[in-house]
Amino acid sequence: MGLEAPYVTGYLSEHFADAAFGTLDGYAAKGGYEAAKKALREMSPTQVVEEVKASGLQGRGGAGFPTGQKWSFMPAGTDKPKYLVCNADESEPGSFKDRILMERGPHQLLEGILIGAWATGAEKTFVYVRGEYAEPAREVQRAIDEAYAKGFLGEKVMGTKFRHDIVLMRGAGAYICGEETGLLESLEGKKGQPRKKPPFPAQYGAFGMPTTVNNVETFCHVPHILRRGAGWFKGIGTDKSPGNTIFGVSGHVVRPGLYELPLGTRLDALVFEHAGGVPGGRKVKGVIPGGMSMPILPAGMLDVPMANEFLRERKTMLGTGGVMVMDETTCMVRVGCVISYFFRDESCGQCTQCREGTGWMNRVLNRVERGAGNAGDLELLLDVAGKMEGATICAFSDAAAWPIQGLIRHFREDFEAHVRLGRCPFPESFAL
Amino acid sequence: MARITIDDQSYEVEDGRTILQALDDLGLLMNGVDVPHYCWHPKLSIDGSCRLCQVEIEGFPKLQIACNTPVKDGMVIRTQTDRVQTAREGVMELLLVNHPLDCPICDQAGECKLQDYAYDYGVAHARTREPRRPAKKRVDLGPTIVFDQERCILCRRCVRFCREVPGTGELMVQGRGDRSVIETAPGQPLDNDYSMNVADICPVGALTTKDFRFKIRVWFLDDVPGVCTGCANGCNVHLGVASNRVYRYVPRRNDAVNETWMCDEGRLSYKTIGAADRLLEPQVRGADGRLVAAAFDAALEEAAARIRRAVEASGPGVVVALASPHATNEDLFTLRRLLEALGTSSAAGVAVRTGRADDLLIKPEKAANATGARALGFGDPGPVLDRIRGGGARVLIALGHDVLDPAFGATEELFRSLDTLILLDTHHSALERVAHVVLPARVAAEKVGTLTNHAGRVQRVEPAVEPAHLAYAEGETLLRLARALGLSLFDGRASEARSEPRASGGVGWDARTVSRAMGAAVPAFAGIDVDSVGDQGLPLRSPGA
Repeated sequence: MGLEAPYVTGYLSEHFADAAFGTLDGYAAKGGYEAAKKALREMSPTQVVEEVKASGLQGRGGAGFPTGQKWSFMPAGTDKPKYLVCNADESEPGSFKDRILMERGPHQLLEGILIGAWATGAEKTFVYVRGEYAEPAREVQRAIDEAYAKGFLGEKVMGTKFRHDIVLMRGAGAYICGEETGLLESLEGKKGQPRKKPPFPAQYGAFGMPTTVNNVETFCHVPHILRRGAGWFKGIGTDKSPGNTIFGVSGHVVRPGLYELPLGTRLDALVFEHAGGVPGGRKVKGVIPGGMSMPILPAGMLDVPMANEFLRERKTMLGTGGVMVMDETTCMVRVGCVISYFFRDESCGQCTQCREGTGWMNRVLNRVERGAGNAGDLELLLDVAGKMEGATICAFSDAAAWPIQGLIRHFREDFEAHVRLGRCPFPESFAL
Repeated sequence: MARITIDDQSYEVEDGRTILQALDDLGLLMNGVDVPHYCWHPKLSIDGSCRLCQVEIEGFPKLQIACNTPVKDGMVIRTQTDRVQTAREGVMELLLVNHPLDCPICDQAGECKLQDYAYDYGVAHARTREPRRPAKKRVDLGPTIVFDQERCILCRRCVRFCREVPGTGELMVQGRGDRSVIETAPGQPLDNDYSMNVADICPVGALTTKDFRFKIRVWFLDDVPGVCTGCANGCNVHLGVASNRVYRYVPRRNDAVNETWMCDEGRLSYKTIGAADRLLEPQVRGADGRLVAAAFDAALEEAAARIRRAVEASGPGVVVALASPHATNEDLFTLRRLLEALGTSSAAGVAVRTGRADDLLIKPEKAANATGARALGFGDPGPVLDRIRGGGARVLIALGHDVLDPAFGATEELFRSLDTLILLDTHHSALERVAHVVLPARVAAEKVGTLTNHAGRVQRVEPAVEPAHLAYAEGETLLRLARALGLSLFDGRASEARSEPRASGGVGWDARTVSRAMGAAVPAFAGIDVDSVGDQGLPLRSPGA
């Protein structure tokens, strides 16, 4: 069965408890598809792009790139077909917001895609759904079928001259296929490995055609922006990071789940007020704010608004808004072992630093956890992480290096204790 | 064009090229400007994965990979800064994390880029403590190649080669992360006409050829530039030579001929040089009808005597010749001159065996110099064979035995009808059975000269080895024959110089001088000689040019 509707809802998720919202009629009854009709009938593609630019919407897939600007990169006046890709490969550990958006609001997603397609001149959208997401894929496909039957997709979308098709494709379970060019390779039936840039997808994307890739949640904001205006959107969240987002809170909290809140909501408010804090009266030790690839924050640094401009000051980022809470029993070296194992397993293996560095870090962390580490291992880890950073085809290598750097930055004493004692000093921590 | 600055030197380069391509175009890559690289190869698509070629570019906060960064007018690039050096060291250390470091028993040692760059950019000791990744040794990838997974650095040149050059795509990367391995699909071995090139482009000791591996340490080999003689393409090669023996051919880059590739069949044709069926001794057919070994001069005297008798009896028109498409232009020009001196110049042809071809490198004519022979006036062998058949020809001077082929309608029986067959040849053949005088000749790897490939490119060969037996280039033998007949072929000049090494007792036929005489006499070769063709060859002059 699907996911619980969010504990705190907003414009994206307010109707998610209502099963009818998943149907085209139920969605339309709440004003759904009005924005798409307005865009296709009354607005030029440029006007749509300008409106989204004016809203300040940032991509919700992790990098936070301005969506309107990304759309404007699509070449005008090309005779090649242009494609849109909806990145629904939500694979970041700690992130599960796109899943609920697809399960409970598939038409909201399709409307956002239609508007994006109109704005970019795309004739086809590929929705690339994470392989493990059987139910979201089923719901989105059902919604696509409904939209075709209603004339909202296909030859003449909503009675206009605009033609648009949406094709759903399911991945096969590789994290790297969430990286946009790894996704494109997988979409083309090849091994999921990120492409070197240049060329960028807007020039050479899916099947070599100009392509824009946007995250599920990013698309879902777009109908609301068009319906209520860029000004309304900018009024939510922070100056630099407007809008709501759906935070996924997991780990040692009383109410793990989804929370739709404005960007800029404080992390401590999210953890303690919304998610109910740590169960059993224990204390928080650290919180990963944005999915596993983002550096952790220690308990003393949770008084930070959840927006990139503030999180960057604390050397971390919003990522996908997947908040992972760890209590005081947690061994941060074990956390490092888990994280480094994940990245070792998921590295595509193209770039030297990533292929070899992820494994090496994992081996060093494992021996520190076993109590076999030595005094030089911390510096070795930081050195290897430094070599992996900023030097590869995609950001995976950075994503593998940053969390380890964060763990050492904030929990150095955990590592040193392992070396000093020759064993793990956290007997109650989760087992590896 | 774009003007760029590399390490404070200004260069004009073509737009749209990447930095490594531009350096390669300028001939500076690893030849003045050191930008080490593994995955990039000038003749393969850009991969961008080894990350070793990072350079500093003004205006870019991060280092950029030179292989995939397009040049822009005004770009300022630095390849030797501390930051670049640190980045290279970082990549090298990571490449060696799982490498077995087994250079002492690795066949690539001595010509290994991992070894070379580890000396340049490596750290002196390993910081790894855990065992290295276990991987398979001696994986049989197909009929020609053995793979060592442990040594592989996953640059994927071999994968791209198979996809992009022969188009067969047998190789792939299986698995991901540090479990990635080069693999073939089950039941689909690496088996194509160009498979052995993967061993050349493998920068480490992961891919080796079954033919060459463990035969000799590469530092004992001298690389002698030469040309493959397996077909009319004339792929440029290095002959790997030690102790007067050729151990291998490896392709030598020539963008006008073979880029950086050669076919497997051609590559293995080095074996013909020292083959067991080499013709080692001069032979003369005795009164009893049997061929017996003879001294070279005696055999030559016998040949001259037979020609003299025939010409005295019936005139020079009874002497005909068949040129070898394997001989050099200089050898064939000498034959031309001999026939002219005898007064029978029109009675000559060349027979070229043909076979399988493709649209890459393999050409239908299975000889290195058929085009040269034709350019020197040796045409279809039919008229010569007809004259033998009709009885008008009594003496045949044959260079090589390619003519003995049903495809030309030429049988042993036909040649048995001759009074005299003088055969100059490199290898034994059935033609010997009907020859009266047999004289050993040198193969291309044993002499100086030029060969003209299918497209009319004249290319130089140099002596890589000296035959263990007494043999002369066909040109020299023919000059000696002329001298025995009292004929002068080169106004005395070409026969005065003597530079053919250790051609003991040579009368001094010199390919260099002959090639200049040929350039003066034959318009297609004007200005083309052994020296002027350089190591990349020159096209024949087109008629009327």
